[in-house]
Amino acid sequence: MSRITLTGVSRSFGQVQVLHDIDLDIRDGELVVFVGPSGCGKSTLLRLIAGLDRPTKGTIAINDEDVTRVAAADRGLAMVFQSYALYPHMSVRQNLAFGLENARMPRAEIDQRIAEAARMLEIAPYLDRRPGQLSGGQRQRVAIGRAIVRNPTAFLLDEPLSNLDAELRISTRAELAALHERLSATMIYVTHDQTEAMTLADRIVVLRAGRIEQVGTPLELYNRPANLFVAGFIGAPRMNFLPAEIGGTKDGRTRLDLEGAGSLEVEAVAASPGDEVTLGLRPHQLRLVDGGEGMAAEVSLVEALGSETVVHTRMEGGESLLAVLSGQHQVEAGETVRFSLDSTDLHLFDSDGVRLQPAAN
Amino acid sequence: MTAQANTSIARRAGAIIMAPVALLARAFDPPLRMLQKFGGTNVMAAFFLAPNMLIFGVFVLFPLAVNIAYSMTGGNALFLTNREFVGLDQYERLFDCGNYLDRQTCREDLFWTAVWNTSSFVVLQVSLMVGVALVTALVLNRDLKARSFWRAVFFFPVLLSPVVVGLIWRWILQRQGLLNFGLYELGFEPVNWLVERNWAFAAAVGVSVWAHVGFYALILLAGLQAIPKELYEAAEMDGTKPGRVFWRITLPLLMPNLLVVLVLTLIRAVQIFDEVYVLTGGGPGTSTLFLTQYIYEVGFASHLRNPGLASAASILMGLVLIVLTLFQLGIVRRNDRRGGK
Ligand SMILES: Nc1ncnc2c1ncn2[C@@H]1O[C@H](COP(=O)(O)OP(=O)(O)O)[C@@H](O)[C@H]1O
Ligand SMILES: [Mg+2]
Repeated sequence: MSRITLTGVSRSFGQVQVLHDIDLDIRDGELVVFVGPSGCGKSTLLRLIAGLDRPTKGTIAINDEDVTRVAAADRGLAMVFQSYALYPHMSVRQNLAFGLENARMPRAEIDQRIAEAARMLEIAPYLDRRPGQLSGGQRQRVAIGRAIVRNPTAFLLDEPLSNLDAELRISTRAELAALHERLSATMIYVTHDQTEAMTLADRIVVLRAGRIEQVGTPLELYNRPANLFVAGFIGAPRMNFLPAEIGGTKDGRTRLDLEGAGSLEVEAVAASPGDEVTLGLRPHQLRLVDGGEGMAAEVSLVEALGSETVVHTRMEGGESLLAVLSGQHQVEAGETVRFSLDSTDLHLFDSDGVRLQPAAN
Repeated sequence: MTAQANTSIARRAGAIIMAPVALLARAFDPPLRMLQKFGGTNVMAAFFLAPNMLIFGVFVLFPLAVNIAYSMTGGNALFLTNREFVGLDQYERLFDCGNYLDRQTCREDLFWTAVWNTSSFVVLQVSLMVGVALVTALVLNRDLKARSFWRAVFFFPVLLSPVVVGLIWRWILQRQGLLNFGLYELGFEPVNWLVERNWAFAAAVGVSVWAHVGFYALILLAGLQAIPKELYEAAEMDGTKPGRVFWRITLPLLMPNLLVVLVLTLIRAVQIFDEVYVLTGGGPGTSTLFLTQYIYEVGFASHLRNPGLASAASILMGLVLIVLTLFQLGIVRRNDRRGGK
């Protein structure tokens, strides 16, 4: 049972404010991922929740109990560090036992918990080795094991996969998801990798420069990004952005003038004619068309991956436009192609980068 | 903007300073290439090692050999060629005792007094040194205000010449010195620090610790800073009490550095001489007479002058130091192997 509530949490280091007024409610049993570019304050936020650091302002509550001033050890949380932070001079078994011994747990129970965690994580054969004698993946499991044996109310994981090679990262990611299912414990997972966030999260918290940009399920963020930053950060490859101008609204449709690429009609949005906006287009939304229709663009690079074809292009106005076309296509660099697009899933952002809402009527 | 400007200025300044060096290096380049071409890499290696080997030979190996030769000669003559060969007589003389449990019965009882004093000194000084260095390093490793200032304060005495150290402390500890003046002002009886046997010995230990502790504290501080912060945070998450953090995490991880410090202080404590010689002159009586001073006085001071005997004593001391050094090399090598894994 663990519900974690942050209210107006700020953290400054000297003159530099790293976190600004963070409000967040993490539900029991939820896997929440903090994602954002490196340096945006993810680790700082996690350390505040862990109790390794104190906020300069605001409160942190676990199950409605204010723990802002409570010592890390008394919050019932366990942390998995990016560097694993295993004690190098102790065997794996001693690493797992260390925290339990601190709590003066009976030997028999310690042994039983270690055996259980070792079985779950398949590290039983290495229990008597030192961390230095293990591979990266094995060390990572031991770090998770050290958290599991403590039977915490919530797990805090700071970029736990970033030291693994790509292949291992994907398989460990799946195992972590399974582990979350099985333990049904609250987990807060920090990463700078949006793919990791999308695949693991129940809910994603997108952070940027110490502020929450958006909170939502992976698909909510993908389908309705609240602003340009989230739109550009979530989804791979990155969303295309094109400058456009609002033409006018009639019969529940708004006309959009694209610079040098004609115009198109979208569902009415709350904007006035003449407003400068940004149109967001996912690379998967573009389709090749023959003839004079659609947006013209000059191909600069083609990556044929077999199942799909990635086409890098440049439009007349100079904006680059990336298209991911399913299947194989005969397209060559230097050629001019035309794209049509599905106008139902377009994203429009105002000049401040905020998503335009549908017109109310 | 300014930072960028600064780095570019620094880079240009560096380039200007390096220009003559680069020119010189280029001048040496063709002959060195020739040498490598015709001599091969072994000759090149010898070429670069030669200057060092020459210095090592002239100032270490050659005196060592001469010293061994001296230790097998007798008489008062200074030049080796004027001295008569006596084999191992000097060593026999050093070990000539009526009863090995009582150094008064030895022919060279002064030598054994020096050995005894040095041994006591080593035990006391090394434990005090390692203890104080460890505590200093632990304190300096904390987030204290003006940390660099405190580090400098502790390191400063290391930069002083031993003679200056001895003089400063003699000035403080002598009968009409600073300490007694302070005690007198506070209403205490003055103590004759350098004339009282035990106080003088304690002063020798204390002053030598003061003079060198900064150096060892620095080695330990480097070791402490090499311990990843996350380990302490993990221990904090685990609810580890401070004492247990020290015994179970800090101390084991600092052990390689501690061993190096231990052996280095041992080696230097065995060789203790200059600062104590200036401070107490070996007195009162022979209570702070240490091995190096004994060797020095037997070798060079007028009334005892016996270069053969001094050489024999110094060879014996050298053997002790060689054992300690091998021990230290073993530790360093083991640390390297650990670190490499
Ligand atoms: N102890 C600290 N002192 C000063 N600045 C810090 C400290 N910890 C983090 N910061 C700063 O806070 C910002 C966020 O850091 P961090 O939370 O580690 O980012 P992230 O984990 O998202 O990459 C960075 O700009 C970093 O330099
Ligand atoms: Mg981080």
